Amino acid sequence: MKSKNATLKIIVLAVLILLSCVYLLPIYVMVTNSLKTLPEITQRTYLALPREWQFQNYTSALFGSRDFLIPMRNPIINSSIISVAVTALAAFFGGLGGYYLSRTKSTFARVIFVLVGIALYMPYQAVIIPLTTITAKTGLINSHFGLILCYLIINVPLASVLMGTFFLGVPRELEEAAEVDGASRIQIFFKVVVPISLPAYASVAILIFTQVWNEFFIALTLITPKTQTVQVAMAMTQGSTISPYNLQMAASLLTVAIPLVFFLFLGRYFIRGVLAGALKG
Amino acid sequence: MIATKAPMARKRRKKGIAVAEFLVFTLPLLVFLIILYGTLLWNFYVSTSNWVSTAADYSFTGLKWYQYLFRQGRFWVDVQNNLKWLILGVVPTTILAILLAYLLELAPIRGVESYVRTLILYPVAMSFVVTGTIWSWMYQPEKGVFNTILRSVGIDSPLTFTNNPDQATYWLILIFVWQYLGFAVIIIQSSFRTTELQEMIEAATVDGASKLRILFSVIIPNIRAGILVLVSLLLINSLKVFDIVWIVTRNGPGIATDVLATNMIVTAYDQRLFSAGAAIGVIIFLIAFILVIPYTIYALKKWFE
Repeated sequence: MKSKNATLKIIVLAVLILLSCVYLLPIYVMVTNSLKTLPEITQRTYLALPREWQFQNYTSALFGSRDFLIPMRNPIINSSIISVAVTALAAFFGGLGGYYLSRTKSTFARVIFVLVGIALYMPYQAVIIPLTTITAKTGLINSHFGLILCYLIINVPLASVLMGTFFLGVPRELEEAAEVDGASRIQIFFKVVVPISLPAYASVAILIFTQVWNEFFIALTLITPKTQTVQVAMAMTQGSTISPYNLQMAASLLTVAIPLVFFLFLGRYFIRGVLAGALKG
Repeated sequence: MIATKAPMARKRRKKGIAVAEFLVFTLPLLVFLIILYGTLLWNFYVSTSNWVSTAADYSFTGLKWYQYLFRQGRFWVDVQNNLKWLILGVVPTTILAILLAYLLELAPIRGVESYVRTLILYPVAMSFVVTGTIWSWMYQPEKGVFNTILRSVGIDSPLTFTNNPDQATYWLILIFVWQYLGFAVIIIQSSFRTTELQEMIEAATVDGASKLRILFSVIIPNIRAGILVLVSLLLINSLKVFDIVWIVTRNGPGIATDVLATNMIVTAYDQRLFSAGAAIGVIIFLIAFILVIPYTIYALKKWFE
């Protein structure tokens, strides 16, 4: 659809400039202000460039300092443990469940599919009170397992649909050949299907990791100081008297760093995961 | 005798293997589904009991806590705000996404598409906690980013953004639209990219139809499935909205920006009215359930076709 229309070019250019401003401004504000000194911040010239770049703000935000009492180091470690564990387990279990859903057309499979479909959009508010009760009664709330369990409940169904979507596109001929050779379904799955679905696993893993890393509601409700996640720590810096704004911005950047790096360098997998989650499931 | 026994035994063994295989594939998923729906039912049970302190109390009270909620002015403020979210979080995002996706299809400048994709999609990787934090800087009335920009072009802005109770919710919804626009665009884009649709567009172009005409009479009717998916996802996400409100305004000023999700936390964990909080949870679930019905039917058909 090549167009020689000059007005079209002008419209595109205008939209481009507008979008660039609207989407780069928040990042610009976050980066520049995270590199300023506190007096520069209190003058509230948020749009000015820093006079001198204060890279030590990042170490203060990470390890804490006299003015910043919410060091991000432990929350980052907690969030990493929780997100990695949930991602690995959900992708593994979801792969198994998704394979079943993509290869069976029984009524049972349809019922499971509907239950999974509703589970994907379950509002956490409708399950949070029982979840806090369970994790408190079993003591799981005091370790990372409490949050891991809660996130698995939501993310295993999600991973099943995502992986199933990919498996629907895997040609059956390969599996039929292995079946003729006498391989069991389990052998076929692990030896034939999984190896050619590794890119799909990567997409699903990135999507789930980002979701769990960014989740706030459950993390806020189930939190104990020992298992505080980055989002909850970040929320504590908001409007708080113990966090100078420049360090708050540095902490924001630390909070988004890992998912943003995934997005920038593995964008293709990222987009494929988002699309799989949206279109077919 | 021996000849007939052997195949039967083999058959039985084969059946055993089939059951074992079935369990390997489905058991983990089933366990988590059972926990999930178990907690959902449990939550419903809590909403009909009388749990009003830190100690759980499961004596049956019927719909008492639902009636309690319906008598609260705050509940109806939430309903109104949730309606604003459902409409303004979904309609403008969808329209903008369709226009932008179409413009990208038409864009004659090379490299524009991948640039725009990265530009508007990066917020998908960020949490609402961080986005909300940055936007509350932009929205500060005195020397916030927006008012500074307006002043530098000579406008003495009267806007106080989220500090104004009448407008606060709308400014919060703007953050949501900003964050979800990129996501919406890639979903619409991918439904543009079918060969049938591309052929139809080409045919219409040859016939001399204008670009707007093509958009309204060729493209939009043919990407209904993509629009259904997008609208459903946006509806659910704007219904579930919690983080933006909690971070930027904390329900305020007063309770002007309160929504069901934030009220649920306040009712259950601050006021310790767990049964009433559970009732709000049930109400949110029922709305979500109704909203995803068309989508679930569509997905079910597509999956098992």
